[in-house]
Amino acid sequence: MKIGLEIHVQLPTASKMFCSCPTTGDDVPNSRICPVCLGMPGSKPAINRNAMILGLKLAKLFGCKIPETTWFSRKTYFYPDLCKHYQTTQYDMPVGEGGVFYLGNKPIGITRVHLEEDPGKTKRVGEDSSLVDYNRSGIPLAEIVTEPDLSTPAEARDFLSELLKEIRDVIDLPDNGERSVRCDCNISVAKERCEVKNVTGLKNVENCLKFEMVRQMKTIKSGGKIKRETRRYDEETKTTTSARSKETEADYGYIGEPDLGIYHIRKMADEIVLKESPLKKAERFQREYGLNAKTAKQLASAPSGLSDLFESLCGECDVHTAVKWTEGVISANWKSVVSEDVVPDIVETVGKYHAGKITDTECSIKLKTIMTGSEADSAEENCDSDLTSLVNEIIDANPSLVEDYRGNDKAANSIIGTVIKQTGGKYSSAEVVDAVRKSIELRL
Amino acid sequence: MTHFQLEKLPEINSKYSMFSTFTENAECDAEFLFSAKDNLTSSEFETCAGSDILRGYRPVFDATPISRMKEKGGFLVGKTNMDEFGFGTFSTHTTFGVPKNPFDTNRSCGGSSGGAACAAAVFDGHVALGVSTGGSIVCPASFCGVYGLSPSYGRVSRYGLIDYGNSLDKIGLLSHDAYDLGKYLPVISGKDPKDITSCVQPDLKTGKGKIESVAVPKEAVEGSGISEGVMKAFEKSLETLRSMSVDVEYVSMPSLKYAIPAYYVIATSEASTNLARFGGMRYGQQDGDLSLGFNEYFTDFRSKYFGEEAKRRILLGTFTRMVGYADKYYNKALRVRMAVINEYKKQFERFDSVVTPTMPFVAPRFDEISEMSALDAYKADFLTVPPNLTGMPHLSVPCGYSDGMPAGLMFTSDHWNDSSLTHMAEKWSDSFESVHAEVSL
Repeated sequence: MKIGLEIHVQLPTASKMFCSCPTTGDDVPNSRICPVCLGMPGSKPAINRNAMILGLKLAKLFGCKIPETTWFSRKTYFYPDLCKHYQTTQYDMPVGEGGVFYLGNKPIGITRVHLEEDPGKTKRVGEDSSLVDYNRSGIPLAEIVTEPDLSTPAEARDFLSELLKEIRDVIDLPDNGERSVRCDCNISVAKERCEVKNVTGLKNVENCLKFEMVRQMKTIKSGGKIKRETRRYDEETKTTTSARSKETEADYGYIGEPDLGIYHIRKMADEIVLKESPLKKAERFQREYGLNAKTAKQLASAPSGLSDLFESLCGECDVHTAVKWTEGVISANWKSVVSEDVVPDIVETVGKYHAGKITDTECSIKLKTIMTGSEADSAEENCDSDLTSLVNEIIDANPSLVEDYRGNDKAANSIIGTVIKQTGGKYSSAEVVDAVRKSIELRL
Repeated sequence: MTHFQLEKLPEINSKYSMFSTFTENAECDAEFLFSAKDNLTSSEFETCAGSDILRGYRPVFDATPISRMKEKGGFLVGKTNMDEFGFGTFSTHTTFGVPKNPFDTNRSCGGSSGGAACAAAVFDGHVALGVSTGGSIVCPASFCGVYGLSPSYGRVSRYGLIDYGNSLDKIGLLSHDAYDLGKYLPVISGKDPKDITSCVQPDLKTGKGKIESVAVPKEAVEGSGISEGVMKAFEKSLETLRSMSVDVEYVSMPSLKYAIPAYYVIATSEASTNLARFGGMRYGQQDGDLSLGFNEYFTDFRSKYFGEEAKRRILLGTFTRMVGYADKYYNKALRVRMAVINEYKKQFERFDSVVTPTMPFVAPRFDEISEMSALDAYKADFLTVPPNLTGMPHLSVPCGYSDGMPAGLMFTSDHWNDSSLTHMAEKWSDSFESVHAEVSL
């Protein structure tokens, strides 16, 4: 069985591919449109440089061959959601070709990465009419086409899941549903393949492929023949149905888009420094810090601030300690961190622990305080003098203590415990011990 | 056009049909008056590009050249008649009114910017914005005895131009007054971020600025079916050039004969995609039968409203870009275009300009035109198509008269050397006495 995917990713640019309309915002139908994305006669496209950069980033992520020049083409077909009745896409010179993506140790070929515009959206109204919303028209898409290297629906799902993780990180693609990712799934059990268009979501991709697999096998078993065709997936029934017989490329009559010219992208591509993808980072963590594969992967796919923090900790203490605190208290409280400003405090605290200045419990309490903010705020108001006044208050309430201390300095321990509790770990035990001793000794 | 003539506009237009639509304002205190070919979008006038399919369409924005003329104090008088989407040589492929030649109303103004040339010929001090894809500025300029300039491709922003062939389309100027070309070219040219093909142009001062030597391609003038009257005027023009101390030399440019087929392949391929958008859904006519499915609706609609020539070019252009045929036609045509460009470049190493007659004959009568086949009409463009295919600037000046009808002389200069042409137009008008068509009412 052979499975290949065509993955359409809406790129997270602020404006559309060929005009300055916003890509997100008002959802009122046809509220984010202009003469260009409506294809009004006389309008001309102007390229969004940022979309080109994001396309190149993806091409680089897969190690694609990036050509010296690239251009756009017109793909002609008549459909109501496509304003110009041709889609501005890339045909004979995409931004990247011949890349690879590793699913574990298995290489999955990336045939090409190209840029194109999203069409509008049609919405069925009643039995015999549809409405069109062009807000989506002109949103930049990257299409990632794989070789038919995937062999099971489950593998296709894993691949897509891993791929998306990488992509999200490299081009800052939000995971909140704001940008859609749609798949065309190609599957052949025997010779002829079928394409299921426009499948959204990992689960749907897997289910649709599963259904197709079974359908094709049953067809062949019962002596039937698989027709090359485009099919549609129904999420409710988890079945696919025939949409139309597959058009050959010929019908699209591609020609170059003269209004957009030719782009020399080599230099642009060379200047792009890719953010390290989670996969690459995991590999590096294994290499540099000697982590095992599982831990490396966990840390590398954590939010980027957290894995950066892990690396900072490694500068202050041994790797084992850094992993222990990053995966423990720090990651447990990471969500409550509001500002990166606390990072140095965290590093310092773990450093103190590593140097033996504070105990495990103290470190844990202090980290929580730093990270959860609210207590940290109230603690912030107490400066050193507050510690002293608190200590004095307690001594005032227990005047006998001073006498006891004169006989045995362990008498101070009860106060020390109380102070640590009341200050919520804001001060290290050494600091508290110091303050208590000083205050008592002043009264001797 | 003087402000006085504005009053007479309805009357003049009923005789010559140069405008598809025009202002009702008989008074205006603008600095100058101009018109625009009807494939340039204008927010105050309907813009139909000569096509029934766009009848009633009122754009929401002005084409960049129009807004630049307005910014300079110009008043847009109206929109000039043209062949549907620019598909034609005689401005007869339209239902908005066929412009009549001011020298003889039984004859064509040429095309496809026929209305523009007619307006330029009839109205004093009027500058007309025209558009050329394969010769649509110089052809009517020649037939109507006016000056016509088609600038370098990319010199004038095409934002707001309803496309014919995007890699060929150029917006230019027509006027009775040669000095208008140099006066208004700086107004409409310049970079425009809305048309990125305009953003690579160098300064207007690029090049030598004047023409001191010209090459005459033998292939264009010998045995190529140029009428006797036009040939006579042409030969006399070469004398005039020599008297202006311009060196004239005959050269060979064998690849010119391939320009016509290459041009029609490229132009129709691009046109067939440009015209795909006209489906009766968002602009222009929308009275298709809504009970039909989408495919039937737009097929029905397009069959009804596209003219015969538009349909012919859609079919031709769709065929030439199909897989299996694209290499044979479209991609080959792109290579021919490069060969023709190189042929010109070679001449520009030695000469400042290439000259030929503009059109092989003077404006034909409408009855003659109705007997021409589509192929005859395409072939009539064999002199104007080569410079258009190369994207090089070219100019037509009135150069003589045959049976009272004007003939044109065409100069083609190297890319971006537009100012050598505006300079030549001025110099030419200083030494050539052109005849002003007499407009009787």
